[in-house]
Amino acid sequence: MKLKTALLGAAASLVFAPAAYAERGSDGEVKIIYWQAVSTLNPYLSSGTKDVETASLVIEPLAGFDENGVVIPRLVTEIPTVENGGVSADLTSITWKLKPGLVWSDGTPVTAHDAVFTANYCMDPAGGCAQLARYEGIKSVEALDDLTVKITYNEPRPNPYTAFVGATSPILQAAQFANCTGAAASSCTAENFAPIGTGPFRVTDFRTNDVVQMEANPNYRDPAKPAFAKLTVKGGGEAAAAARAVMETGEFDYAWNTQISPEVQSQMAAGGKGEFIYAFGTLVERIEMNMTDPSPSLPEGERATVAHPHPILSDIRVRKALSMAIDRDVLVEVGYGNAGRATCNLVPAPAMFASDNTDCLVQDVEGAKALLEEAGWKVGPDGIRVKDGARLKLLYQTSVNAVRQDFQSIIKQWWNDIGVEVELKAIDAGVYFGGDAGSPDTFQKFYADVEMYANNFDGTDPEPYLAQYTCDKAPSPATQWQGENVNRFCDPAYDALVVELGRTGEMGKRAELAKRMNEMLTKDSYTVVPLVDRGRLSARSLSLGGVVLNTWDSELWNVSDWYRVK
Amino acid sequence: MFTFALRRFLIAIPTLLIISLAIFLLLEAAPGDPLGDVPLTVPPDVKEKMRAALGLDSAWYVRYLLWLKQFFWVEPLNLVDYIFGTDYAQGMQRVISFQSRQPVMQIIAQRVPQTLTVVGMSYLIGVSIALPIGIYSAYRQYSWFDQIGTLVSMIGFSVPTFFSGVVLIIVFAVKLQWFPSIYDTTHQVTDWASFMKQVRQMAMPVMVLSLYNAAQISRFMRSSMLDNLNQDYVRTARAKGLTEKVVVLVHVLRNSLIPVVTVIALGVPTIFGGAIITEQVFKVNGLGQQLITSIHSNDMPMVMTLTFIFAILIVTFNLIADLLYGILDPRIRYD
Amino acid sequence: MLDHTPTQKTLVEVDGLKMYFPITAGLFRGKVGDVKAVDGVSFSIFEGETLGLVGESGCGKSTCGRALLRLYDVTAGSIRIGGVDIAKLSPDALRRMRPTMQMVFQDPQASLNPRMTVAGIIGEPLDEHTSLGRAEKLARIYELMDAVGLSRDFANRYPHAFSGGQRQRIGIARALALNPKFIVCDEPIAALDVSIQAQVVNLLEELQDRLGLTYLFISHDLSMVRHIADRVAVMYLGQIVELASREALYGSPKHPYTQALLSAVPEPNPEHEANRRRIILTGDVPSPANPPQGCNFCTRCPKVMDICRKVEPVSREIEPGRFVACHLYETTTTAEPTAATEASGKTRLSTNNPTTQQGV
Repeated sequence: MKLKTALLGAAASLVFAPAAYAERGSDGEVKIIYWQAVSTLNPYLSSGTKDVETASLVIEPLAGFDENGVVIPRLVTEIPTVENGGVSADLTSITWKLKPGLVWSDGTPVTAHDAVFTANYCMDPAGGCAQLARYEGIKSVEALDDLTVKITYNEPRPNPYTAFVGATSPILQAAQFANCTGAAASSCTAENFAPIGTGPFRVTDFRTNDVVQMEANPNYRDPAKPAFAKLTVKGGGEAAAAARAVMETGEFDYAWNTQISPEVQSQMAAGGKGEFIYAFGTLVERIEMNMTDPSPSLPEGERATVAHPHPILSDIRVRKALSMAIDRDVLVEVGYGNAGRATCNLVPAPAMFASDNTDCLVQDVEGAKALLEEAGWKVGPDGIRVKDGARLKLLYQTSVNAVRQDFQSIIKQWWNDIGVEVELKAIDAGVYFGGDAGSPDTFQKFYADVEMYANNFDGTDPEPYLAQYTCDKAPSPATQWQGENVNRFCDPAYDALVVELGRTGEMGKRAELAKRMNEMLTKDSYTVVPLVDRGRLSARSLSLGGVVLNTWDSELWNVSDWYRVK
Repeated sequence: MFTFALRRFLIAIPTLLIISLAIFLLLEAAPGDPLGDVPLTVPPDVKEKMRAALGLDSAWYVRYLLWLKQFFWVEPLNLVDYIFGTDYAQGMQRVISFQSRQPVMQIIAQRVPQTLTVVGMSYLIGVSIALPIGIYSAYRQYSWFDQIGTLVSMIGFSVPTFFSGVVLIIVFAVKLQWFPSIYDTTHQVTDWASFMKQVRQMAMPVMVLSLYNAAQISRFMRSSMLDNLNQDYVRTARAKGLTEKVVVLVHVLRNSLIPVVTVIALGVPTIFGGAIITEQVFKVNGLGQQLITSIHSNDMPMVMTLTFIFAILIVTFNLIADLLYGILDPRIRYD
Repeated sequence: MLDHTPTQKTLVEVDGLKMYFPITAGLFRGKVGDVKAVDGVSFSIFEGETLGLVGESGCGKSTCGRALLRLYDVTAGSIRIGGVDIAKLSPDALRRMRPTMQMVFQDPQASLNPRMTVAGIIGEPLDEHTSLGRAEKLARIYELMDAVGLSRDFANRYPHAFSGGQRQRIGIARALALNPKFIVCDEPIAALDVSIQAQVVNLLEELQDRLGLTYLFISHDLSMVRHIADRVAVMYLGQIVELASREALYGSPKHPYTQALLSAVPEPNPEHEANRRRIILTGDVPSPANPPQGCNFCTRCPKVMDICRKVEPVSREIEPGRFVACHLYETTTTAEPTAATEASGKTRLSTNNPTTQQGV
């Protein structure tokens, strides 16, 4: 009897303890600030993060990513794999099974036809879909029955988790958007501003570029969630003001993308109302070495092409010495604080793809000097090294950005210390990243010896990212200076690995290949010198519980689990 | 007076048409592509289709004429429909924002209330504190009151609102926690408590803007008063044995107000223009914030329509200022 | 001091009137000196007479007129009007005194509030100082307009709609509204056309006869003053240098400045005009902020003596009702009772002052 009571009590407490905060709508209102205001809630019409992430509160994809980059089911029963038969053995098709009994926020059932409609909606050439990349290479999307969707690709697809996976490709309700396909897509204001979805919230008031108000979706699949009855996403201002609203005044519960200087971060954190949260994705600030000669003395058409190897940087010892002279921890401290960490990898995440390469983390000025000596660069009368009458002089370019200019001057100092003369150049970001073939200042043209910027890859699969460094992707006059291999790195062994990766479906093998390729670019060749792994930095109120920052999906991916700390 | 007003009104029409063309051509010549944000993964032919969907494939004069038709014909018809429940404008293409794909006029209608309440209120408060300060400063020229008034005006003039706004936020929102730092545009006033909340959230932006407005207008008021205080008719009024109150508030003030009233009238369009920086700082998200967001995203129809509405308001209030001059000053006759 | 003319009652008595305006400079607007616009002026005005006040521009005559009505707060001295020292009255008591003393201004355009109608301008003092009803007030306004020769139809017009002469009539009607005893006419005709000047002066004279007004008539127009004034005071640099009856002053000016001033008046009679000798004064009027030591006129006086540069002359009554502030006349007044018996100032001038004819 006594035992039974105890067990019952334990069972009851198990049931009721979480229920204390897990009853739908019991926690009142949650207020989120996106300092870039939301323009629309249809992610297929806008690629802006602010729009995609806010929309993720309302409309959901079949599957998403968790904070580790692992694909997790949302509207489906399980993630299809080759093992469970969901992905065909030849990697050309994937079949998703919807959870039975799912309903839209208006109470109508969610079917496979909605997914088919969504794919067709985005793939309609007249619609101008902003997320078309997610649906690239698809031969057909069909509904095998009300709960089964099958996607067939033109070619084998080692990573089939693109369409309907992640916040950028959510499912729209076919009934709502039936008259909004093709050219009519953008004129459906009412639909685009208040899509009907399966997410934890539904829109009650949308004011473009200002504020979105939502309430708990009464038909959400988990009857205990979300804990908040109302949700507001306010826009406007800038990052510091958004952080202040959470960290200092406590007006808001969550602030998106609060990238501010480490100094201001710690000042605000002293307010005691909130905390900065950060998570790391794949964004890496790096220095790229130019393997070709950018000298202006060369004629246009030959300048900075593979025809002319770089006179200084072609020697790996120089490249390695330049990397060794850098103290990455100092850079992190100066530029990013908690939201950055030193890295030697081009692919720092997800964990399974990240190499354990940490060679570069310790600064070694003496070693760098010795390497340069070995390479024949001797210290001249003014402290700058010379070899065969040529000075060790580099032009170092990047975009105009306060942190980047700090980095430039710090790194210049380190390089001066090892006898390298450095000339700095900062280019307006619009021009630098603008890709205009007529401009001499684009990062692709790379009319400099070294350059610095940050880049990342979409989703969790590094294959397309690593495939950028093949010989044929080098920008050149022949390609109108388009192409991602800005270093003009060219190694047939690397190209072979890219091909192999494209044929490999097994995850363990893929990870191994990716690590090899990452190392070939970094510690083996010092073509790419990674500096800082830049995390995502947001702010949450101490009274907001359940927040898990996710860099692989929408930041608001688990908003249904958020609750008020009491 | 009526013929004058009518004549001025008729002149205003070609003026506004020329202004609209100038704005359109300027926007046309400005660098920037409304499709600039579209990812590079979108193939060029799809991009071309998107351009066509925005109407960007036709020649500029076609788009200009279309805009004229939409602004002067379709939008008024829509207004008529909205008021009388008719459907004259059924199926006609309205002026649509590139960025949000919503009719521009709907967005403007959505944003006018907060701009009018915040910017309008600060103008009202600015004027109503500027006038007494200007009057008293002039009446007691070089007194300590006047010196302080001058100092405050200089501060109001010269300190940019993005600075004073942030200072106010740090003092009143962060340290003292009296006022919210972020304006809630969805707030509805229904009772005393919600009214007080509205007052609190308006306090800081209104303070910043009214300081600026008051600084300007109080200087106008002061110099206009000084001009008049030394006039002979003021001596006449004193010689009549009138009280100082009557001399200053009736004789001097009424004459001094003539130029000030016109300055105030000319300032009214700026209320609708919104306060771009202050709206950004306090997240009021009114017309000013809309304008700057639209400029950033190359939302041509929005920028075009907003700037043109400002142009109309400026022309209108110029006319109103002239007419006011005629009404207030018996020496001026428009016949 | 005018006890020798017991028949005439003094209405205005000014004694030692000083009106200084501070000069400020520097960061904190510290006071660094004074503009001595009126520097110790004493005179009396008899009831019903017109005292002309003449002098060149900037001599302080307008300031004197305004100070007389306490339109300025005077620096020192007393102003008795009807026995009341208005220089020391409280603002409120002063306001109650206002109806007895009024002013007609130089610029009729500027002195009328442009935003008030004629009826408003004339009627405003009535609102302030009487308790007349609407109809009574209007009747009084019409009466005043009739008195100054303005058509009643103009009552609702604004000042800008009138000519200069008409505006001055409005100004006069306004001044008359409260039945004042004393009116300061501050260059009332200076801004008017010559053809209108006579009309306005005639109107003033006519009103004086009819209403028994007392005028202080400030002007630089010596001919007009000769026409209207009973007695004339001559001002130079803030001080009255000579005060005499019209006939005496114009007939035989005593003070060298008066002589110079009058020598500038053209003679209507061509014969006399031909004989007229102008005394040309050299140099500029010194700044009232920094008047010369001794006699104010010593820098320009054709008959200057050593004493003039050291000692400031005081105003003396050299003949009954005739006051001169000049060292030239000190010997006569102190030494000789004969001075009073001399036939005319002119002869005495010529005998005493061989230099008189030098200033040609």
